[in-house]
Amino acid sequence: MNLVSVIIAAEDPTQSHHWLFPEIGEIIYGGLASLAIFFALYKFGWPAAKKALETRTATIQKELDDSANARRQAETDAANIRKALGDVASERAKLLAEADAQAAAILAEGRARITAEVADMEARANAEIAAARSRIGDELRAEIARLSAAATASVVRSALDDRAHQDLVDGFIAKVGASR
Amino acid sequence: MSAQKINGYVAAMFEVAVANEALAVVEDEMFRLARAYESNDQLRSSLGDSSLPTERRQKIVEQLLGGKAHNVTVQLASMLVGTGHVALLPEVADALVKRASSEKQQEVAEVRSAVALNDAQKTRISEALAKATGKKLNLKVVVDPSVIGGIVATVGDEVIDDTVRTRLDQVKSRF
Repeated sequence: MNLVSVIIAAEDPTQSHHWLFPEIGEIIYGGLASLAIFFALYKFGWPAAKKALETRTATIQKELDDSANARRQAETDAANIRKALGDVASERAKLLAEADAQAAAILAEGRARITAEVADMEARANAEIAAARSRIGDELRAEIARLSAAATASVVRSALDDRAHQDLVDGFIAKVGASR
Repeated sequence: MSAQKINGYVAAMFEVAVANEALAVVEDEMFRLARAYESNDQLRSSLGDSSLPTERRQKIVEQLLGGKAHNVTVQLASMLVGTGHVALLPEVADALVKRASSEKQQEVAEVRSAVALNDAQKTRISEALAKATGKKLNLKVVVDPSVIGGIVATVGDEVIDDTVRTRLDQVKSRF
């Protein structure tokens, strides 16, 4: 038994028409009115709704595009920042390397200069020591020679008696006489 | 200026000595006085002391030479002191000796000895030097103890040195 059979079986015999279905005229008028309403809605409501929908779609699309653009710009900025950070790190490393190189060069130059100065000072000190040693040696020799000569002169002077003086005079005369 | 003064004094002394016929004696005494002046610090300071009156210094000269030297020598030395030029005495005496020697065609031979020489030794030395240099010599002997022993003779530019002092100096230089 289908649904229509059930509905017909439940029909009230006191009613002029079925309780569920409207009368034929009501259906016709109602249907025409509905068609008119649907037509009016299609004719006047649909374009407005469609336009509103398109506007909304365009707005959403524009926001999506703006968001995409903003994201791309942000990514570009981020990339630039990352690149700049990388450059800064590279520049820092380069500056540090140059500073290290300069410090090493200055240190090496300073060591070389100090080494040369120390060597020069040592050489001069050695020369002065040698000169002082030589000078002291010379002075000592001169003093010894002077003292020896003075002592010798004193000894010789005391040893020269009249006879020796006469012999020296005779020796001079003989020497001068023999020179011609 | 000094050379001019020396030449002036020498010319005057020479004329005075010649006029008194005492050139040989005067030049010899002036020479010995000059050597004494050179070697004696006390004599040099006394005669050169300007704080002493000139008369006092001339008196010293007269006392030193009086009775031992010719009167002309005393007067000439006193003149040098009186004019305040006693410091020129060695140069003046040497120049006087040189001029006197030139007058006799002689060369001055200065002999320095540690001890005094007798006349015989002076004669032998003079003859030996004359023979060696080929010149007529006017011998001047200076007793100089600093030579220690032996003799050094100077004739013009030539020096003949046979002194103990020189031999000691040679030994000293070898040290």
